[in-house]
Order: sequence, then C-alpha cells, then structure tokens
Amino acid sequence: MSSHPLSNLDGFAKSSQADHPPTQYQQVTYLSAAVEGVFTKPSNLNLCKKLIGCLLICLFSVTALPVSAMDQPEELLIGIEPEHNIFDQMERYRSLAAYLSDQLGVKVKLTIMSRYGEVIKRFKFLNLDGAFLTSYTATMAINELHLQPVANPVNLNGESTSQGYMFVRKDSDIHEVKDMQGKRFIFVDPATMEGYLFPLAYLKQHGITDINKFFYRFDFSGSHASAIFAVLDGRADIGSAKNTVYNRLVNNDPSIRQELNILAKSSKAPEITLCIRNEIDPRLREKLSDILLHMDETSAGRKVLKLFKALRFVKPNRADFVRIEEMAQEARAAIAEHGK
Amino acid sequence: MNSLLHPLLRLVLTVFFVMAAAPVLHAEKRIGVIMTGNIPYYGAMHETFVTELNERLHGAEKTEIILQRPFPNPISWSNAARKLIAFDVDLIVTYGSPATQAVLHEKSNIPLIYAGVYESGGHADVDSKNATGCGFKVPLSSIIRYFKSLKTLSSIGIVYSGVEEDSVSQYQYMKRLAEQQKIKVEKIDIRSQADISKIRPANPDAVFITGSSIAHLYLDEILSDLKKKHIPAADIFPDDSESGLLMTLFQPAQPQGQMAAEMASQILLGKKAANIVPHTFRDTELVFNLVEARHLDIAFPIHLLIEATRVIK
Repeated sequence: MSSHPLSNLDGFAKSSQADHPPTQYQQVTYLSAAVEGVFTKPSNLNLCKKLIGCLLICLFSVTALPVSAMDQPEELLIGIEPEHNIFDQMERYRSLAAYLSDQLGVKVKLTIMSRYGEVIKRFKFLNLDGAFLTSYTATMAINELHLQPVANPVNLNGESTSQGYMFVRKDSDIHEVKDMQGKRFIFVDPATMEGYLFPLAYLKQHGITDINKFFYRFDFSGSHASAIFAVLDGRADIGSAKNTVYNRLVNNDPSIRQELNILAKSSKAPEITLCIRNEIDPRLREKLSDILLHMDETSAGRKVLKLFKALRFVKPNRADFVRIEEMAQEARAAIAEHGK
Repeated sequence: MNSLLHPLLRLVLTVFFVMAAAPVLHAEKRIGVIMTGNIPYYGAMHETFVTELNERLHGAEKTEIILQRPFPNPISWSNAARKLIAFDVDLIVTYGSPATQAVLHEKSNIPLIYAGVYESGGHADVDSKNATGCGFKVPLSSIIRYFKSLKTLSSIGIVYSGVEEDSVSQYQYMKRLAEQQKIKVEKIDIRSQADISKIRPANPDAVFITGSSIAHLYLDEILSDLKKKHIPAADIFPDDSESGLLMTLFQPAQPQGQMAAEMASQILLGKKAANIVPHTFRDTELVFNLVEARHLDIAFPIHLLIEATRVIK
C-alpha cells in the first residue's frame, strides 16, 4: 500500500491533485482517506471501511459544495464609491467591466455604493466580491474584511496616488490654523483620507482636537468637487479635498486657481485600489491582476484604458495603507473628541 | 430790592434748569435711514434692523426712525443725505453703496452705519472715522462657472449702472473674468427706465445682473425682455418673487440687518463709530430655479443641483 492515503481511492482525486493545487474539496477527500487508513487492519472489514469512507467523502463533498462555488464565482460583483458625477463615473467603469468580463471569462458586474462610509456594510450586505476603493476605505476594508489589494489605476497625469489639499479663498483673511477659529469648515465624508482624516490629523498637529468648539460650523459635502465649490461660492470658509479633483477642476476652469489658496497638503496615498475578497479563488484573483497590469500592452486594453481615463494599472504597495492607518490613528483622537 | 430780586432769581433759575433738562426730557434718539427705492433685499435688511434694534435697546433709548427712500439717481441720494443731516439725526444708517457714498460725500459729523455694501476688494470703500458697518462679498466667478455647466457660454450680458460705484466694480470684475475665459461681454448700462430698451437688441447666451439699485427697480421689465428671448439670468440679490431668475448667489439680508442693529445700539449708547470694526459677510446662498429652467429648456444635472442651498421646483 502506498503511503499516500489517496492510493486507496482508485485515483479519484489523484488527477485532480496533479493538475491543480488542492482546493477545499480536495482537502476534504484527504481527510476522509486518512480516516479510512486508520481502520484498514482487519481484511474482512476492508469493504465495510471503504464503504464508510465513501459515504464520508460524499457527505463532506456535499457540505463543501457551496464553499467551492464561492471560490469559482460565475460573476464578480464589484462596488464603486460614488464620485461627483456618477453618470460619467458609471460610463468610465462600464467599459472596464466589459473588458474584464471578456478577458476573465467571468461576468464582471458593477454596483455604486451609495456613499463612502458604506464599504464595510455593503460588502457584507451585498456579498460584493471586490470594490474600487479610495485610500481610507481601502485601508479599512483590508484591515476589517481582509480584502486583497489587486491593482491601482494610473491617471492621465501619470499618477496613481492622490493627496489632500486644505484650501481657503484667497480673499478670505485665513492664512494659518489660528485664523480658522469660528469659521465654517467643509469636509468631504468621514470615510475619506483627503477630505476628513488629513484635515483632522493636521488640525490635531496644530493643537486643535475639538472641532465642535473650534469651528462655527462644519459640514460634509459628500464629494470632493462639492467641497471645492462650497469654498469657491462662499458657502464655507475652509475646505479639504483630494488634489486630483482639484487639478481636474482647475484644468477645466483656470479661474479656480486664482481664487483658492492651498494652506496644507497631505502625504500621497493610492487614489483608487481594486480590492478583492480573500475568499475568491487565488487563481482568479491572479488572473484579474494580470489582465489589469498588462492591459496597456494591447490595443484593445489601451482603448478601454482611454475610456477609463487611465494610462495603465500598477501593483499596490501595502506600505501605503499602513501610512494611512497611522494617519487615521492620529485623527482618531480628534474624532473621538468631537464625537462625544 | 431784595424782595424784587428774589422772585426774579427764582424765575431765572427755573428757566435755566428747564433749559438744562430739556435734552434729557427729549432723550429720544433719531435715526435717519436711507434705503434706495423699493428694493426687497434692502427692505428685508431694514426690517431685521428695526426688530433687532428694539430688542437690543429694551426701551432704554426711545428711538425715532426717519426713513428716506430716494429714487436711484445721484441727486435723489444726495438730497436724502442732506435732509437727514438737516434733521440733525443722531445716527444715519444706509443700505447699499450709492446711499452710503452720498452721506460720506456730505462730510457730516453724524455717525454712519452702512449695510448691504458690496465689497469688491475685500473691504468696503468707506473711508471715514465716523463710519462703520457691514458689507458682503459674493464670488462672481461662481456665476460664470454654473452658467458654463448649464450651457455653452460664448457671450455674457452684464446689467449694471454706470452711476453706482459697486455695480460698476462688479461689472469690471465680471468682465475681466469672462475675458480670461474667452467669453464675449455685452455691457448693458441702465441709468434710467429708458435704458431698459438696451436689452432688446442684446442677444448674449446668459445675463448677469449686478447689485444695481436702478436695475433692481426695473427688474421685472428686464426679466420679461430676457424671457422672451430665452436668455437665462443670474443675480447677486435674492429673488423674493421666485420668478424670472435662473439662479441667485447672494448673502442673506438678515445677518447684515442684525449686525447693523448691534452697531447702532453701541453708537446710541455712546461708543464711537471709529471704535467699531467693520465686518464683511462672505457666506452665501445658492438658489436654482427649476421652474425657470423648464421655461428656458435647460436641464440641471443632478451633480449641479446638489450644490444648491435651495432649489425652487
């Protein structure tokens, strides 16, 4: 008798083992075969033991089936965090989803998450397989849901990162933190690095921990562009938003640069990261990563990238998310303070 | 002699005391107010001013308000200012830049509080030790930006009045912004009712109405002409009738009325105007009128609507 427990199973799972790394299904067969091996001493009991072994295999296989099906999904449901203009955004992502469906052989479906902070909830509620996440939500999802960062898009300016800008109107008489007292601050969303964590961490570094007391009022705009427009229009005195949106608005309307003064900038962080559930078959995840990282090498891929408004995708750096977590911890003291 | 002098002395002393006490008996303070025309924006400011002032003084000072509503032209503003100076009021309150400038021109020693003055360079052009007050600033570039988000903007008409300093400065600023963005400017200078006919030949893609008093006096006629030609209009004064303007970006009147009342109460209680720091309001409200948009066949994108403080449906 071969020392391998599978030798008693007439090669049922042998070929499977030879072709692919073991799946959960195969691990179950190993276990059943091992159980069988313990009871193989008396020859008259062999048939009986084999039958029990087969029954166990069947039982374990049936219970393992749903798990196996999740590893090889028929479709991937990917979430997207809403931007200022969700119609434009859906248009951009739609072509990418079609390309990925075609290349992966698995249908990629998109869903807009109603707001930034819902990533964790939506993942659980909607059974999302992955999501294109901004830096802070990606950090939260990696830490709390153990998602795997797969790829970062590089924007048309050649950058895969973004940073937070804190800005005021040039004619505002606000030049430093002490001038901000009693004014109106517009954040983007509590789940954004550029539009919330960064300004809180910055204010904390300057001795401001209770924004309730320090500001006359603070609000959340819901989008980076809205925060910028609110300050431009005079609906808020100070705002914070991501530089990529700021630069896009300035490119469209150069008068914005003449009107706003940037008081502080955060360090750079990955702007968007495609994160995928850890439970997804690693081969599928790997394939997805390969397609994205090499799509700029084919004309079909480049065409989709153009519509997606990106140059290419690059591999994420996990250290970036550690830096965001550090910033979150710094800001958390201020959050706890004003959240009382 | 002594018996004759005694009643005489008593009479002189009585007259002296009555005369000395006369100002106390007439302790009522008189406030002269100049509010140009019948402009709802200034009306709302004045209403808040009166309510707030009564609350602040709590009857400690009796006040009489002499309200002047001059027609928007330099002679009427000047006459209104001179009348109040002749009345020897204790305080003059003005709404809007032309009325303020008219009082300053008279170089009176009567303290002046202004409100509703548009500040082009960040500070109101009010240079007098007897004057203080509050002004406002509205970022005019936002109006161009929102117009551009709604339709192709290759030309913009600017309705202003060449006899109103703040209106002229708004025209100049808007013109500069438009030209930087290669937008052609059509200037529409309204100095009298007859000038409204200037709008008829104009055919810009959109019209911006400056904070001109005379333009607002004839606003309905101006908007009626624009409506016939399907030209959208924006204003930096609120649209109380909620009819005719596609968008308004304005500083609400009430905070300015409140602050003017606060400053007035301090002056009436003895504080010098020079010791009260002027204030510039920079908070704005953005209102989009979807009813007008429908008339003009303009579709507001959702991402733009969410910017509004209020949407008229």
